[in-house]
Amino acid sequence: MNSQKIAQQSLRRLAVQQPFAMRSTMMRSPVAILGQNIQKSYRTEAVLTKESRYRQVTSSPNTEDPNQILVQQRLRRPVAPHLSIYKPQITWIGSSLHRITGCALSGTLYLWATAYLASPALGWHLESATMVASFGALPLAAKILFKSTLALPFTYHCINGIRHLVWDTGRALTNPAIIKTGWTVVGLSVASAIGLALI
Amino acid sequence: MASLRTTSRLLAASRPMFRPAFARTYATVEPTPSEQPKMKTFKVYRWNPDQPSEKPQMAAYDLDLNKTGPMMLDALIRIKNELDPTLTFRRSCREGICGSCAMNIDGVNTLACLCRIPTDTKSESRIYPLPHTYVVKDLVPDLTHFYKQYKSIKPYLQRDTPTEDGLEFRQSPEDRKKLDGLYECILCACCSTSCPSYWWNSEEYLGPAILLQSFRWLADSRDEKTLERKAALDNSMSVYRCHTILNCTRTCPKGLNPGRAIAEVKKMLAV
Amino acid sequence: MASFARSSLLRQTLAAPRSPFCKNVGVSQTVAFHASAKKQILPPLPQSVQGTMNDPTPVPEAHPTHGSYHWSFERLVSVGLIPLTFAPFAAGSLNPVMDAVLCSLIVAHSHIGFQAAIVDYFPPHRVPKFRSLCNWLLRAFTLTTAVGLYEFETNDVGITEALRRIWTA
Repeated sequence: MNSQKIAQQSLRRLAVQQPFAMRSTMMRSPVAILGQNIQKSYRTEAVLTKESRYRQVTSSPNTEDPNQILVQQRLRRPVAPHLSIYKPQITWIGSSLHRITGCALSGTLYLWATAYLASPALGWHLESATMVASFGALPLAAKILFKSTLALPFTYHCINGIRHLVWDTGRALTNPAIIKTGWTVVGLSVASAIGLALI
Repeated sequence: MASLRTTSRLLAASRPMFRPAFARTYATVEPTPSEQPKMKTFKVYRWNPDQPSEKPQMAAYDLDLNKTGPMMLDALIRIKNELDPTLTFRRSCREGICGSCAMNIDGVNTLACLCRIPTDTKSESRIYPLPHTYVVKDLVPDLTHFYKQYKSIKPYLQRDTPTEDGLEFRQSPEDRKKLDGLYECILCACCSTSCPSYWWNSEEYLGPAILLQSFRWLADSRDEKTLERKAALDNSMSVYRCHTILNCTRTCPKGLNPGRAIAEVKKMLAV
Repeated sequence: MASFARSSLLRQTLAAPRSPFCKNVGVSQTVAFHASAKKQILPPLPQSVQGTMNDPTPVPEAHPTHGSYHWSFERLVSVGLIPLTFAPFAAGSLNPVMDAVLCSLIVAHSHIGFQAAIVDYFPPHRVPKFRSLCNWLLRAFTLTTAVGLYEFETNDVGITEALRRIWTA
């Protein structure tokens, strides 16, 4: 409809502005140019309206609900790989270590305290005196190994915990600071763990 | 219009290197004649929704870096133009302002158009879609939920009282300065999809990008719904799944700091 | 004209190879994706989107006890733990009162930490039963730990002193 109007308008404008040119065009092919254009625009318009009407028709032979196509497709989508492909960086590796060490330390405490509570019933001896005695009987290498496996998670979790508390005040939250403090925590915790293990 | 399209296709048929869709990119460059070819392997994640039972695969493509533009997006466009037209990815502005080409390149989320191709030809580059997103096809993730979450924080100025003189809502240069580093976010979802907390809890946790936007409206001196905005965040999931992992700050291709924005949100909620 | 264009487009699509990878010249190799073959890490449910594209995600009710109060409490506990953790190194061990405070803070800190891990990794819409099992297990263990530590503090030498003795044994 619009294109027809535009064609009419342009013809009219042509007639007003350049009456001679208009006459010559009309003489050469009076209706052909206009007619072709209008016919073409009509055809495309008919196709468009047909398509848009098709979309709304409910009794189409295709009974599949178009809204369900996307829903079905979504159910089949894979999840893009994440942990296995993300570059190991001090940010998330450090954070996961923080959680792992925390869980390991607390888990040890929970298991030991629960076992201590249950020891009278089970006949175990988890009093400090027996533990000290049995630990003292271990060879030196085993002592150092035991101490360092306990000390390293402890020092890392403590020092990284302080780093987290500093972050919670809004400080040291820039990329260089994050990287620098991250490696500082690693260095400090290893050093202090070695120190603790050798006491 | 239809006739126009046929002409362009004819043109394309006569000159196969010249494809209308990518005609204006500089993905392919003319090599200087004396140079040795610098072949680099690009491994790209592929998955086709038309074959949903097939597992995602890594397809390897070899490109001569002398003939390729400097950026990862150039490499992808060249692969699509010259090697494999079925490769699917989003791209638009090629200058880091639209956020369409966000993807995981060599293990880090970034915009392909801002990421230089590593010139080391011995190591291959691996390109994945944004991590832990549902894949529509190849490198195209479905960000519907991300956008719905963005909508849930009401990302617009909420204000009932008009100004005294009836003109626009003005703010001091100091107040305006508080929005620097927040308004530049283009919502490419690089930070959110780099966050392990968002990987595990994207249903309810808003993620760094949306929380940065949240803070952008909390920090706006003209907004009057600060209390409502804070109440909407004050639950166990929306903000507090953030454990300050800071992958977000590390990965932001625009150099913004979602981690600090979340820390400020937590401080605002705490007092 | 339009119909001609469409039919040629159709022919192109039909002529294109059905498999996306197999007949492409540029692909030198395709490899099955390594991570999908193995067991997935915390696999999410198949994608489903609630409501239409234009609906926002639902905004949860405000629960400061699970939100801001919880966060502030956790920070207070953590800050309180710092001096209590470092004091025994300076003083050798703690007096019973400080030892009891340290123990209760550690139990609170551990409980919150485990809880955060459960909330993070076991969302209720994916593994509702396992999550509540974990939560009940955690409560039970926190209780036994608290009682066990109380027993140890009252009947034995106290946690810092015991650790000191073991360390120097």
